Amino acid sequence: MTAGTDTVGTESAPTEADPAARAGSTRGRLVLKGIHKSLGGKEVVRGIDLTMEPGEFLTLLGPSGCGKSTTLNMVAGHLLPDSGAVEVDGRDITRLPANRRSMGMVFQSYALFPHMTVAENIAFGLRMRKVGAARRSRRAAEFLELVGLDGMGERYPRQLSGGQRQRTALARALIVEPDLLLLDEPFSNLDAQLRVRLREEVGALQRRVGTTTILVTHDQDEALAVSDRIAVMAEGAIHQLDVPETVYLRPATDFVAQFVGEVNVLDGTAAGAAADGHRCRIGGTHLVTATPVGTAPGDGESVRLYVRPEAVRVRALPEAVSGKGGPATTSAPAAAEPGLPGTVEATRFLGTRVRCVVATAAGRVEATLPFGAEVPGLGEEVICAWQAQHASLTARP
Amino acid sequence: MAGSARVADGQALTPDGSAPAPGGSRPVAKRGPWRTGLLLASPAIAVFALLFIAPLFMLVYNSFRTQAGAPTLHNYTRFLGDSFYRDVLWHTLWIGALTTLGCLVVGYPFAVYLRGRSPRARNYLSLVLLSPLLISMVTRAYGWLVLLGPKGPIADGFQAMGLEAPKMLYNDTAVVIGMVHVMLAYMVLPLMGSLDRIDPALTPAAKGLGASGWTCFWRITVPLSLPGMLAGSLIVFSLTVSSFVTPAILGGPTVKLMPYFVYTEATSNLNWPYAAAIGFVLIVVTTILTAVYARLLRGRGGKEVFA
Repeated sequence: MTAGTDTVGTESAPTEADPAARAGSTRGRLVLKGIHKSLGGKEVVRGIDLTMEPGEFLTLLGPSGCGKSTTLNMVAGHLLPDSGAVEVDGRDITRLPANRRSMGMVFQSYALFPHMTVAENIAFGLRMRKVGAARRSRRAAEFLELVGLDGMGERYPRQLSGGQRQRTALARALIVEPDLLLLDEPFSNLDAQLRVRLREEVGALQRRVGTTTILVTHDQDEALAVSDRIAVMAEGAIHQLDVPETVYLRPATDFVAQFVGEVNVLDGTAAGAAADGHRCRIGGTHLVTATPVGTAPGDGESVRLYVRPEAVRVRALPEAVSGKGGPATTSAPAAAEPGLPGTVEATRFLGTRVRCVVATAAGRVEATLPFGAEVPGLGEEVICAWQAQHASLTARP
Repeated sequence: MAGSARVADGQALTPDGSAPAPGGSRPVAKRGPWRTGLLLASPAIAVFALLFIAPLFMLVYNSFRTQAGAPTLHNYTRFLGDSFYRDVLWHTLWIGALTTLGCLVVGYPFAVYLRGRSPRARNYLSLVLLSPLLISMVTRAYGWLVLLGPKGPIADGFQAMGLEAPKMLYNDTAVVIGMVHVMLAYMVLPLMGSLDRIDPALTPAAKGLGASGWTCFWRITVPLSLPGMLAGSLIVFSLTVSSFVTPAILGGPTVKLMPYFVYTEATSNLNWPYAAAIGFVLIVVTTILTAVYARLLRGRGGKEVFA
């Protein structure tokens, strides 16, 4: 497994994935039922319900203190829930101690045993299961190869780079063929480039071995890149649990929209259904379209729109219209596509993209211009538009 | 201190040495920072030489002299040839070993307990641990004399239970109890340092892989706290074999250890060369024993733990 040659991990997750079919695994179905947990007098997990299919890669995504690590530690058996149940393959393991569960965990610090060689670290779980020395070293060699550390078995953790330690920890967790693989912020101690490479490797490896996996992270890029599904958490509760595309494009709550990626938030009023979505009036007159999340709002209801900068397209307003300053929807070229007129306030060159800030009647709208697009000049009158499917619409909180 | 100054010099020199400077000026440039380092370290070197090296040298020198000042090996042949003195040496090392073991047995659980406490609780408990060191050695030893004596509270306790109190004073037991009391802090403090350096995630990691709490302790915590155990043991052992007051008071006439004979030879018999020889034998034997102990504890994989 080498970086670059493996492109499996780089694919954005397809629509509704069927991980069980893909990996062929039948083991590792996790069910969390109404999990509550208080730590130090504060309720950090407030009623988590979750079902994972065998072979699925699920990410618990959220800011620090949202209860994601606590949840993971309850799955691992390091913490006991105050109420609720943890079930694996139909068996209730809520009160089973960690050493009698079958969970492979990778820690943020990797938690390699510094006084053991890499091979001894990897074989530790087998040793605890009373596997004989010969079989142990054979299996350790196999797993060293699996994670691309062939020939490094006799080294000590101190002699490894961060990425190699990470892989050792992964091999150590996987060698016991656990019901679940639990990854607790495993990439956060690595530099940016290595982080991206390793998360792709881990994603590809997980697809190969087919172990049901939970990743805990606060890094939304990481979550989007590797997960089958993402559970966005805040203040001890899951705000949205869905495939990455849906979480990104149709955030269910205000928190999800703001936490995952950058987003333009626009307030307006609902103005009836359209062929491709729902019409919505912004700043009183300008009509835009968006896709409602959940039930469609009634006409005239206060709504909030979320649209990603990269979904916003910026076009120059035709002279005649900009001169009059009338509603954009009446102009001939804009009629096909409703939009929000405004003035270019700033443009920022970001290397691969150009970010354009447009002042509109509803506040600033940020747009990411695609590569090679014409950059509008400062002060130019433009119109911001997007496709209905790229914007989501909720009742205003 | 001298060592660190030299290292800094080495780093400063590298760019200097690689510069294509004419050969004539280079030796000066090279010696300059070296001299500065030596100069800066000189007060420390002077103190070290005067207070540590010179007395040791004089001790060794005197031990090879007669009382009249002529060179001789007699002091050593006398000590090593006499089974009485050899027994005193073994007895001293035995007391040292027992005290070290006692400190480990009492101190290790204490250090492990402290590891999980809040910083505030740790401060208070550390103060309790250090409290014996705040009291004069004589006072403390007399306290034990009262406690362990035939009319002391412990003997009363035995009597209340209808048992005959064992003899607890003026024997090895009394000396070891008294020494463990004083030395405990020297064992616990390095142990705490060692335990604190262990990544707290290691225990959950081992448990997750199927290790029981007991296995975690023996396979993870104990091996990784060996540096603290080693440091604590070396300090406790060396201080115990060279201690005078506590064994003298609690050991009474039956427990006579090496420092006692150094003292009597020097003050009563005024045989300073022989006192020096006894002292030097103790230093050499202690050094050898601690070196062997360190080697044993390091063992396999030790390089990683001690790195």
